Amino acid sequence: MAALYVLIPVAVVLVALAIWVFFWAVDSGQFDDLDSPAHSILFDDDEALPKAEAKAPEETDRRNDD
Amino acid sequence: MATPQPCYHCGLPVPAGSHFQARVLGEIRSLCCPGCQAVAEAIVKGGLESYYQHRSDAAINPDALPKVLGEELALFDRADVQQPFVTHEGELASTSLMIEGISCAACGWLIERHVRNLEGVAEASLNLSNHRLQVRWSDTRLPLSELLGELRRIGYAAHPYQADQAAERLARENRRSLRQLGVAGLLWMQVMMATMATWPEFNIDLSAGMDRILRWTALLLTTPIVFYCCTDFFKGALRDLRTRHLTMDVSVSLAIGGAYLAGIWSTVTGRGELYFDAVGMFALFLLAGRYLERRARERTAAATAQLVNLLPASCLRLDDTGQSERVLLTELRLGDRVLVQPGGLVPADGSILSGQSSIDESVLTGEYLPLPRAPGDSVTAGTLNVEGPLTIRVEALGDDTRLSAIVRLLERAQSDKPRLAEIADRVSQWFLIIVLLAAALVGLVWWPLDPDRAFWIVLALLVATCPCALSLATPTALTTATGTLHKLGLLLTRGHVLEGLNHIDTVVFDKTGTLTEGRLTLTGVHPLGGESADACLALAAALENRSEHPIARAFGRAPQPADAVDSVPGLGLEGRLGERVLRIGQPAFVAALYGSAPPAIPGDQGQWLLLADGSGPLAWFVLDDRLREDAAALLQACRERGWKTLLLSGDSSPMVAQIAEQLGMDEAHGGLAPADKLARLQQMQAAGQRVLMLGDGVNDVPVLAAADISIAMGSATDLAKTSADAVLLSNRLESLVKAFQVARRSRRIIIENLAWASLYNGLVLPFAAIGWVTPLWAALGMSASSLLVVLNALRLTRH
Repeated sequence: MAALYVLIPVAVVLVALAIWVFFWAVDSGQFDDLDSPAHSILFDDDEALPKAEAKAPEETDRRNDD
Repeated sequence: MATPQPCYHCGLPVPAGSHFQARVLGEIRSLCCPGCQAVAEAIVKGGLESYYQHRSDAAINPDALPKVLGEELALFDRADVQQPFVTHEGELASTSLMIEGISCAACGWLIERHVRNLEGVAEASLNLSNHRLQVRWSDTRLPLSELLGELRRIGYAAHPYQADQAAERLARENRRSLRQLGVAGLLWMQVMMATMATWPEFNIDLSAGMDRILRWTALLLTTPIVFYCCTDFFKGALRDLRTRHLTMDVSVSLAIGGAYLAGIWSTVTGRGELYFDAVGMFALFLLAGRYLERRARERTAAATAQLVNLLPASCLRLDDTGQSERVLLTELRLGDRVLVQPGGLVPADGSILSGQSSIDESVLTGEYLPLPRAPGDSVTAGTLNVEGPLTIRVEALGDDTRLSAIVRLLERAQSDKPRLAEIADRVSQWFLIIVLLAAALVGLVWWPLDPDRAFWIVLALLVATCPCALSLATPTALTTATGTLHKLGLLLTRGHVLEGLNHIDTVVFDKTGTLTEGRLTLTGVHPLGGESADACLALAAALENRSEHPIARAFGRAPQPADAVDSVPGLGLEGRLGERVLRIGQPAFVAALYGSAPPAIPGDQGQWLLLADGSGPLAWFVLDDRLREDAAALLQACRERGWKTLLLSGDSSPMVAQIAEQLGMDEAHGGLAPADKLARLQQMQAAGQRVLMLGDGVNDVPVLAAADISIAMGSATDLAKTSADAVLLSNRLESLVKAFQVARRSRRIIIENLAWASLYNGLVLPFAAIGWVTPLWAALGMSASSLLVVLNALRLTRH
């Protein structure tokens, strides 16, 4: 039982900390957009792609001017 | 004819013989127009072609985006113009841009990646739910106009976004309610642990000292829940009591306040039961219900709250020497002379000094054909100059224009809007009266029997019957139904639409753009000479492709545009294709080419254009505003429900009566000004009718605002969208038929939920009255009944 004398204050402090972190997250806009991050992870695998293909457009740079 | 191949970029059909191509993902792809070609090439060149791999929807055709002139973009580089929406922080400037043309998540990737690769951009992030791009960049290295130009190159239109006060307030409120929800959730869990340990069911060997500590801890943690998270309930209750209404807020406040005060008493004295966990649970459940509802509604609001850009941002002012200079609309003064190019919006009310053109006033009046205008005629701000350049003397600006008069009419109409009573309000009123009477009765009975227990039994009764499930019944059903409708293409922007749809008995339709497509389409080709209809159409398209006139779009894209095309405002076009000189347009103008009288027009419906070459007439083309394909299905659904259907149009042509007859509508009136439409609507409302209005133009705006429920088409003007209660994004009228069904089902679910919640509360009442309900049973009952209500509401997600 004696452990409770320590654990209860610890719990209160932890909750206070959690609320502080939560407020920070809300204020820094972490909850403003719940859609984009879900999609953005799908694309990040292609990070290397643009560099690998940087030469491609030159060969295929066909102009169709009329 | 074989079905045309879809454009690789935008999905529109590629005209036969088109030579627009680009190499994307290692293959040659056919494209429909030079616009798509330029965009596709820009994307490939930027090394971003995996966009095409990941996208789930075709892109928007670049021609469909609002046109912005290079000069107009350059205005955004002026410091005084930038000042309201660009902030500077050291080297870097930051701004928020509203992006148009986003069709799927891959667009977000494309935009972010392209902008980040630009020279001088430090940071770019796009919010996909409200289509806003946040950019931090060095504006000395990259002017804002170039940034906007770059976005245009990859097929998106960007406008500087400046949050208005309403939007800012909404964002602030959202954050506040999210904070309240989070605090309630985090604290409630702790409070529950502390409180439950003191309950007899869990209390094994709690010492008296520890019991005191737990009670005080629970009190400490509950206090922020009551004073921070629940303020809205108390404020709402106070407001409703002042107006002598018993609402859900009153009973929730009573239960929360009662449980909290009793908890303080029991903490201080060390006797009696603790109901702090109930306080936290009410707060969490109710706040969650309200937050979800708010979120669903805010999503839809954000999607529709585009810029109200009825007027151009800038215009060409002529100085005394006749030189034109691009200025902001706010810099324009009365008496200035303004040059309006063909295809441009008229910036202010005024009269024509020189030039000949026709003006498309469909947005303001519902007339679907452009009307010819000559010097001396007056023009209205917000209308579209179609054919030739016009010089206009400014006679009214800003608040004095006809457009603003309509907006003012809108504001008046909005304040007169009748409110439909919501079921939940009525149920909660009766509920609260019954609970209060029962509590008083139970208290009176117990007082003489056992004065010690009487207070705790009354408290247990108030807590156990707290209308938690009852308050969740409506918001959960409405939230899920809103989500379901969103998928069907109908965005609800106000809360009362779903319930209100069940009270409707009259439906008012607008014609142009609502029941019809709102643009001229080719309905027939009648060849006169030896050439086939297809060959004549190709010739006409070759000429029209060089024109900005709305008629021109009806002809589709030509593989080979004509040369030396000359537009004669109000009359037609002349051009050369190979050796052949061709004319298309008004019969008299065209017939002059071959020097004899034009043939007689074979019909009277729609607009007839003659095509001819030097040797004689070739073909008649009929253009008309076509009825939407699913209009008949919608009217059928309205009739099945026994609703009265009306057509109120600003158009004075015989087409109004004809459409009404074709669709079997009960009444039709044409040639109505916005004020007339509003008067008619208010007449109907005075006669006790409940009206649903479906419209799209600015001339419908006052009526949309005043109708019991209003729905704007997705293609409607922004003003119409913002003043309507719902927006039909898909533009498919059949989605509305489905929406009617969803509305009916959600009403049934709401009633089921209310019935269940009342039943639970009714059942628990006798047990509470005889003192059997302990805090444990109250907590269990409440969570079970709330869960049931939520699960029942989730059934609405299935179609």
